[in-house]
Amino acid sequence: MTDPVPSAHAHAPYAPAAARATGTAVALAARPDLVVCHECDAVHERITLARGTVARCRRCNALLGRGHVLGTEKLLAFAIASLLLIIVGNSAPIVTLDFQGVVSQATLPEAIEATWAAGQPLVAVLTAATALVFPLVFTILRLYLLGSLVRGIVPRGFVPAMHMLHFVTRWGMVEVFLLGTLVAVVRCASLTSATPGIGLFAYGAVTLLITAITAAGTHTLWKRSSEIGGTA
Amino acid sequence: MSEASSLQTGSQMRLYGCPTCGRVSQLLHAVPDGTFLQCPRCATPLYHERPRSLQRTWAYLIAATVLYIPANLLPIMSTSNVFGETLHTILGGIEELRTGGDWLLAVIVFIASIAVPLLKIGALLVLVITAQRRSRWKQVERAQLYRMIEAVGHWSMLDVFVVVLLVGTIRFGPLGGVMPQPGLLAFGAVVVLTMLAAGSFDPRLIWPEEKDDTRHP
Repeated sequence: MTDPVPSAHAHAPYAPAAARATGTAVALAARPDLVVCHECDAVHERITLARGTVARCRRCNALLGRGHVLGTEKLLAFAIASLLLIIVGNSAPIVTLDFQGVVSQATLPEAIEATWAAGQPLVAVLTAATALVFPLVFTILRLYLLGSLVRGIVPRGFVPAMHMLHFVTRWGMVEVFLLGTLVAVVRCASLTSATPGIGLFAYGAVTLLITAITAAGTHTLWKRSSEIGGTA
Repeated sequence: MSEASSLQTGSQMRLYGCPTCGRVSQLLHAVPDGTFLQCPRCATPLYHERPRSLQRTWAYLIAATVLYIPANLLPIMSTSNVFGETLHTILGGIEELRTGGDWLLAVIVFIASIAVPLLKIGALLVLVITAQRRSRWKQVERAQLYRMIEAVGHWSMLDVFVVVLLVGTIRFGPLGGVMPQPGLLAFGAVVVLTMLAAGSFDPRLIWPEEKDDTRHP
């Protein structure tokens, strides 16, 4: 296999695929009538899926596509709600403790800061990235992309934004963080009186929204941008 | 193909499915072996077999296995009160939950922190070794195994989040406090490394072509 030179393809992301080895242009025709399984390379004919149905690879059973229940407008509404709830979830305490009259409570940013101060900056960064920054970037990117696409515009930097969206979708872990808050509340409750805070409930709602948005996938976004941009 | 005669693959038909945007591209004419191809829509490099997939997976997998030892032996946190300081390992924390009567939580944390990382390392070993041998043994089940690893991978981060929240919340000065310990970093690293290992593994290696070398016509 080839070793791509990193700089060789940076200059022309929209140009037809460049043949670096030979220097000649390579024709890569679009085949919108086909689907290639990303897990086993089996070729399928593309079919239109009814709402709520899924298509699976007939060789390896991988999920090839979903007939979507959520339209672009609904997805945009979910993203707006998710942004507001992330802000609430990070400014309100996750759990409040009462230890013989001394009250202690923490928001997620405070907990991250305390971990940093306690001599574990890498753990603090890992938590900040997966529980806070990536879900936030995920939401903002969705807002940015959908906000333009619903108005019939392909936003500036669409392709890099989509690549970034793929990355933060994979590495965002709100649902795990939510379970973590529940375990933390129970462990605190075994020591002293603990009350779940607004932050926990907000994160619960964020988890539901992000899960729904993630399940809708990115295919709709690519398709809309292709339709608007007139490219295959 | 052995299972369905009508089934054709992308490499047989010179078709490339883009892993990022899903666009299907067809190579219209033969190109020299090793030609670098990119998706015309999103510029993602296109391959029928991701380069050095197995080497990358091995590297992350070995690193994860090595770090799994300190992650479980070193304390992940310490609690302190007027009577002194106590160190807690992952297993110790589960034991505390169990003796505290929180059976369900003990089981959840055990699955997320002990069972999932161990199963992931084991399952990745199976996938890498069988792929290296271009094995055709239980292909559908191995594909299922790969999807399972991808789906559960990030749940092991649970204990990292729990400790960070305890550190942030339990701050009563000399009366009580929680501090993170080095085991937590090792544990977080295991989670990230196993996720990178699973992400580096190209599932198409589970389905080797009949001919050995069918990269490009």
